[in-house]
Amino acid sequence: MNLPIESIKAACWGTLVTIALAILIVFGSRNLAHFDAALVAYTFATLFAVFGITYRYAMWLQRPPTAMYFKRGWQVFMRPQHILRNVGVWFARVTQDFAFNTFIFKRGKTRWGAHWLIMWGCLIAIAITFPLVFGWVHFETLPGDMNWYRAYVFGFPIFSFPIHSLFGFMVFHGLVWAAILVIAGVMIAMRRRMRDHGAAAVQQFGEDILPLVLLFAISVTGLMLTASYTWMKGYAFDFLAILHALTVIFTLLWLPFGKFFHIFQRPAQLGVAFYQDVGEREAQAHCRRCNEPYASQMHVNDLIEVERQLGFRYELQNEAEHYQRICPRCRRSLLAIAQGRLWHG
Amino acid sequence: MMEFFIDPNRCIGCQSCVQACSECDTHKGHSMIHLEYVDRATSVQTAPVVCMHCDQPTCAEVCPADAIKRTADGVVQTARKPRCIACSNCVLACPFGVPEVKVELKMMMKCDMCYDRTSVGKKPMCATVCPSQALFFGTREQLEQLRPRSTPVNQFQFGAQTITTKVNMLVPKTGKAEYIYVTAALNETTIGKEITLNILQEAYD
Amino acid sequence: MATLPNQLDSITQRYGPHLTFNTGVRLATGVEPDKVVKTHCCFCGQQCGIQLKVKDNQVIGFEPWEDFPFNQGMLCPKGVKRYLQGAHPDRLTTALERDEKAAAGFRPLGYDTAIQRVASEIQRIQSTYGNEAFGILSGASLTIEKAYLMGKFARVALKTPNIDYNGRLCMVSAAAGNKKAFGIDRAANPWADMLSSEVIWIAGANVAECAPITTNYVWQARERGAKIIVVDPRITPIARTCDLFLPIKPGRDIALFNGILHLMIENDWLDHEFINNHSVGFDALAKHVKQWTPRHTAEATGITERAIRQAAEMWGQAKSSFLLHARGIEHHSHGVQNVLGAINIVLASGRIGRDGCGYATITGQGNGQGGREHGQKCDQLPGARDITNPEHRAYIAGVWGIDEKEMPGAGVDAYELIRKIERGEIKGLLSLCFNPVVSLPDNEYVARMLDKLEFYCVIDFFLNESAYHADIVLPGSLHEEDEGIVTQIEGRVIKINKAIDPPGEAKQDWRIIQDISKAMGRERGFTFTEPREILDELRVASKGGIADYSGITYEKIEAQGGVFWPCPDNDHKGTERLFEPNSWNPIAKGAGPFYFPDGKARFNVAPYTPPTEDTDDEYPLMLTTGRVVSQFLSGTQTRRIGPLVNQYPEPRIELHPQLAEKLGIKDGDWATAETRRGAITLQASVVTTIRPDTIFIPYHWPGRKSANRLTIAAQDPISKIPEYKVCAVKLRKSEAPTND
Repeated sequence: MNLPIESIKAACWGTLVTIALAILIVFGSRNLAHFDAALVAYTFATLFAVFGITYRYAMWLQRPPTAMYFKRGWQVFMRPQHILRNVGVWFARVTQDFAFNTFIFKRGKTRWGAHWLIMWGCLIAIAITFPLVFGWVHFETLPGDMNWYRAYVFGFPIFSFPIHSLFGFMVFHGLVWAAILVIAGVMIAMRRRMRDHGAAAVQQFGEDILPLVLLFAISVTGLMLTASYTWMKGYAFDFLAILHALTVIFTLLWLPFGKFFHIFQRPAQLGVAFYQDVGEREAQAHCRRCNEPYASQMHVNDLIEVERQLGFRYELQNEAEHYQRICPRCRRSLLAIAQGRLWHG
Repeated sequence: MMEFFIDPNRCIGCQSCVQACSECDTHKGHSMIHLEYVDRATSVQTAPVVCMHCDQPTCAEVCPADAIKRTADGVVQTARKPRCIACSNCVLACPFGVPEVKVELKMMMKCDMCYDRTSVGKKPMCATVCPSQALFFGTREQLEQLRPRSTPVNQFQFGAQTITTKVNMLVPKTGKAEYIYVTAALNETTIGKEITLNILQEAYD
Repeated sequence: MATLPNQLDSITQRYGPHLTFNTGVRLATGVEPDKVVKTHCCFCGQQCGIQLKVKDNQVIGFEPWEDFPFNQGMLCPKGVKRYLQGAHPDRLTTALERDEKAAAGFRPLGYDTAIQRVASEIQRIQSTYGNEAFGILSGASLTIEKAYLMGKFARVALKTPNIDYNGRLCMVSAAAGNKKAFGIDRAANPWADMLSSEVIWIAGANVAECAPITTNYVWQARERGAKIIVVDPRITPIARTCDLFLPIKPGRDIALFNGILHLMIENDWLDHEFINNHSVGFDALAKHVKQWTPRHTAEATGITERAIRQAAEMWGQAKSSFLLHARGIEHHSHGVQNVLGAINIVLASGRIGRDGCGYATITGQGNGQGGREHGQKCDQLPGARDITNPEHRAYIAGVWGIDEKEMPGAGVDAYELIRKIERGEIKGLLSLCFNPVVSLPDNEYVARMLDKLEFYCVIDFFLNESAYHADIVLPGSLHEEDEGIVTQIEGRVIKINKAIDPPGEAKQDWRIIQDISKAMGRERGFTFTEPREILDELRVASKGGIADYSGITYEKIEAQGGVFWPCPDNDHKGTERLFEPNSWNPIAKGAGPFYFPDGKARFNVAPYTPPTEDTDDEYPLMLTTGRVVSQFLSGTQTRRIGPLVNQYPEPRIELHPQLAEKLGIKDGDWATAETRRGAITLQASVVTTIRPDTIFIPYHWPGRKSANRLTIAAQDPISKIPEYKVCAVKLRKSEAPTND
């Protein structure tokens, strides 16, 4: 079997990152002292997911256009004359785009509501569960005061809080709040997907419905666990625990393949924004037909290189040199003129 | 099977397609068709451009986010919203000048042949309303019957690059053109009648 | 009495035009409509079929109606966005009363009070100055039921001869010409007849912008081998790729037609059999056109001799043909002669009354055809009857149940009606579906005349610019709020279906008219409870007339996809094509296919006269006016629909670069066009697609953007159509205008 070099590279990256995580788990849980053996299935699913995500990410980065903009994104970000400003802008953009999802708000309010609730629900849940599963975080009662808890991270004591305080209540029910946010978001999203004619036309089960079903299943089974031990004296707890684990593990295994991969791709948006900032400030490409500026010179040159790597042959044997040096508007006109010539040549 | 056939030569620039495009449910409020004067100062010639739905779409290949997908029935979809990072590569790369980036929304949008309509056997909005039928959506048999002097081609030449598309363009049967050589028109101007100075003078020649 | 105060800004702030876009429920993609109503577009004479989506008594969108035979789903941008006219912030939902002290010039008034006031003002004016001192201006966008009722209202309830309609600005030259030549006024053929024509001659018709759907018929014919000849001072979109383009000097069409006929005779491209057996008057005409040599024609028309010869050859030698014309040849002080000239070359070819052989005017308004047939015209009674013909009068008086002697005689045309105000002969006016201060020529004069009225009542759904001068405004109904029939461009009678109820106190126009009659104590004959009842009376009233609708019912229209009149009885399917060999009509009674007692068509000598106002040193250019595709007529509706306004936001002056260079005007510069009537300042659009001696301005806007501030009120002596298409103008570069 002949594996392409890209796959081998990606597999190496995947292995490397997976091993790194494994080491961190061992190290962070103080040689598995704080590792809960009951959660071992979660851990292996996570390790698989990390391998898969890294593999796919590495494959993705090796595509000519992605490679080009990954490289360029960092180059323009790091330019000494822009770096300070860029760091400031970076924080602003992360807040706007990622914390508040403002661009999704502009696409539609319900769409935004759904995404924002699901996103924050998931982020909270991830922030709570992964460190716990890996044994990176654990709690102990204070020696001498059973009413106080101390939180340990990587085995180091960080802070203490009273168990029966509001803070304690909020922390220990963190997954409940996360589940409520996710369920609310999923409901809004499902309602839209069931009613919206436009969405109905293009949505696919695996791509658009399944993620919502999985999130819903995780959240509901999680809440049932809480309900079981809080009010029902642990009725069917073991069954529910297995059910919940199955939903989570399936989601983890599916993570590298489906819609959730966008979580890892999306930050590229930041690189693109810096690329565009710099492009705007620097030389513009002027259309070789109408002489109007239409994009940054850098972008056009980079795209010509990307197209060459992809095997496109848009080169021209005249003063325009490359079709890429004609603006989109002129391209549209050329089509009409070329067709018109055949009728009225 | 119904297909898309375009004859820009028929276009009267009325913008019905532009107005109707924004009524489709997959892109409501956004018009994805382009209709522009080629050069209003010299002509009323207009260029209506919908997505040609390439067999191997340049836009998809140059997309760093892998956001542009082609359906099994050959329709190149608008960018997947979770993935598109609004980099404009597709806008700059498309040989027909089709995709648009909505900067505010941080996403690319393009003509998806009114997938909500065509995927259930209806015509796309633009071709349904087009008063000149420069945009025609129908079967090859209908075309043969309605347009006896036209024949469809779906190959376009840009420099050394040949692009094959799902959408057809109509050319004269007599010309026997097998493809449209788009970049050969680089130095050409608008097409059509002219009012010249000598109208008045020639009368007295 | 009503004067326009310095309140223009506050009026427009309150009553618009504001722009609507698809927002809210109209933008939502997950709304299921309560119902989808098959109806027609509210705008031009083509009356394209369309389906309106309705949710909670609001039109929220449309769906093409592909089964309707004329347009098969096709729509122009106006049709696409027509649904945005409803649920509009400018919509009048109560009656208004002029009030100088009110913030926006008007104050709301209870509907019944308003009706009482209108009725008592009519009675006061008529008892003080006589019945004829009250006038009515009506419109050709109204359904036939309403149009019929307006004529009846004037003659029966008000007993005034002074009613006329805005078809006067539109269809009357064609109507008069057709009656003179054929004895009937209707498109001779359905549009499908065009498809097998060898030549299509399009004279003075910007098909692409004013009748966009017709484009497909023309291109379809071209696909099947037709040659297209276009005559226009501008290279319109349909002219761009036509086979022969004749860039005529505005107002010289009759010269061209005479010149073509001259060459047809010279080359014997004539149908002698047809001329001898089915027409009269050819010899006199042949004698007349002898003078119209190609040289002479070229001098008059500004078209090259070569092109004239080419046109004659194409037309003369064709085996089949279709001639279309529109306002371009009709809007002239010799509009009827132009039309007769066009008909002459059709008759000389003998190519009429068969598939592939046809002739038609492209009717402009929504009910341009039907609105000119049933009595809202000053000299006409239902069924296209003549108000001066004793038999016709007696028949209609019988239908109306009045004494024939009580029925007033012929009134005057719409513009003369305005002049009557100046002379003090008209003191009160009611207008419906008419916006004279935008649409009539020399409109600053028109506005002054409206201010001279003692009482002016406007019925409309928006506060149109003429209504600024009104004492009472009554809230009428939108197209989608009523039902009824209209007759479209081909002579096909179709049905408008009601989609929603009028909002607030707004009412269907025919109800308002009946309420006024009742308030005046003259409700006899005005007690219809639905449009169907009005149609039933109209069917009787039109029976035996030329425009015979007696066999037309809503059900038949629905079953057949429209019914072409004449349709003289219940078993009759309608008449798609006129003048078929051996066809029967009630005038010829079998003597021949044309609507004269001998069954023969008439050639008419059509002498050339230059435009009323020719160019001179002071006003060296010609001004011609027309439409753009995204706006309609005076813009009362279309200037309130956001996407349509954005498509062409402001009127521009089109001029040729050669002229522009001489005047130092660049594209986008402000320029002032001035005539003997007025001046307006607009941005220039410098394009090679217009004759260098002509400028073009579209006419859909009011006030300082109004092309009709410039146009001349000269009228055709027969049809009384104003000469919108040519007057003398001067142009200069200027600065951006400050507000009025």
